[in-house]
Amino acid sequence: MSSDVPGTVKLFFREAIARALREEMAHDARVIVLGQDVGRFGGAYREFDGLYAAFGGARVRDTPVAEASIIGLGVGAAAAGLHPLVSITYMDFLMLGLDPLVNYGAKVRFKTGGRLAAPLVVKTTAGAKGQGVAHSQCLEPWLMNVPGLKVVAPSNAADAYGLLKAALRDDGPVVFVDHKRLFPTAGEVPRGETIVPIGRAAVRRRGSDVTIVTHGYMCRTADAAADRLAENGVACEIVDLRSLAPLDAETVCESVARTGALVTLEEGPTACGVGAEVACRVHEALGVRRIARVGAAPAPVSSNPVLEAACLPDAARVVAAVRRLLLS
Amino acid sequence: MISKLAVPGPIEDVEELRVLAWHGAPGTAFAPGALIVELETHKAVVEVRAARPGILRAILCEPGSWEKVGNALALFSDDPDETLPGSAAALPPWIVEFAVT
Repeated sequence: MSSDVPGTVKLFFREAIARALREEMAHDARVIVLGQDVGRFGGAYREFDGLYAAFGGARVRDTPVAEASIIGLGVGAAAAGLHPLVSITYMDFLMLGLDPLVNYGAKVRFKTGGRLAAPLVVKTTAGAKGQGVAHSQCLEPWLMNVPGLKVVAPSNAADAYGLLKAALRDDGPVVFVDHKRLFPTAGEVPRGETIVPIGRAAVRRRGSDVTIVTHGYMCRTADAAADRLAENGVACEIVDLRSLAPLDAETVCESVARTGALVTLEEGPTACGVGAEVACRVHEALGVRRIARVGAAPAPVSSNPVLEAACLPDAARVVAAVRRLLLS
Repeated sequence: MISKLAVPGPIEDVEELRVLAWHGAPGTAFAPGALIVELETHKAVVEVRAARPGILRAILCEPGSWEKVGNALALFSDDPDETLPGSAAALPPWIVEFAVT
């Protein structure tokens, strides 16, 4: 869905999120926001700025540090007819709310034979940015195989805006995963109301030598790696997944069918990661065996900047992985 | 001598800033400490204040435009009538103070 207003406007990542919520809250009175610091404070990243003033404390509710309780509350409120967005500031602490999210939110439709649903959005921020082992994790793979649960991950302001709108209109539950390092960025966002459909990847860059499949902040790392590889005559195609569940295997496979080589890239660990699922789907569909996965080293991500950098994938590591794959 | 007011920095964690509001127009004289322009980062507002007296001669970036640290925002001089150059590229910097609020 895209309105008739042409052109784009440049917004901070946080403004794209606030805009999506403001629009959805304006035309659907069932949408409410729950979480720590979402009210007058406007959100840990100012991503809820202006919502409390516009919609009041009944619809934008500050909660205590109690992730299991607020997700449980969100599931119940959703089953009762609201469309809540529950904010979990750090994805690491989503772990505390997995029981209500997975055992109730994702299953209530199945348990009740369709009589109840849980149109809930859990918005959470993943990723490492100097805050240490329990405030840096990327746990998307933990969610991707839960039947009944959708997972989306924007890499830029326009997709944050469009995917959040889609999530708030979905039957749910949907986990919307953004990234700490995306908040300092800005991007062009359509002026008119626009929805980015869940389940559709986007090709960010066209190339013929290798397909890099990635999501979230790592799209920028992939782009930097592709720039360096282009200087040496290697043309990379970059597929930004945008949705992790459902995952758009069709777009990925169409790309790898042309390039013949796949490198998956994620900030989280490779073991049982996003890339593992992508690699299997590609191999099952195409029989392609030129596949490599890039992700974090198998260690907790330290707050020490030297150790953090040593753990996380960067453009140099992606370049090395592409070179190794193409020469093998 | 014409100098250029550039986006001050470094500011931790900041890639780009949005120009919010000018607190003067070409011809306005600024005393030390006076607020010249407000810039917005993803987290906060940056107040750019004069560190020495001078006259704003030309505004190069309108409110709403996006600039990186170091980009030229405006031209300043001591003399209100000094001829403006064609390009801001080689100009010396106009010294300012800035606070991130």
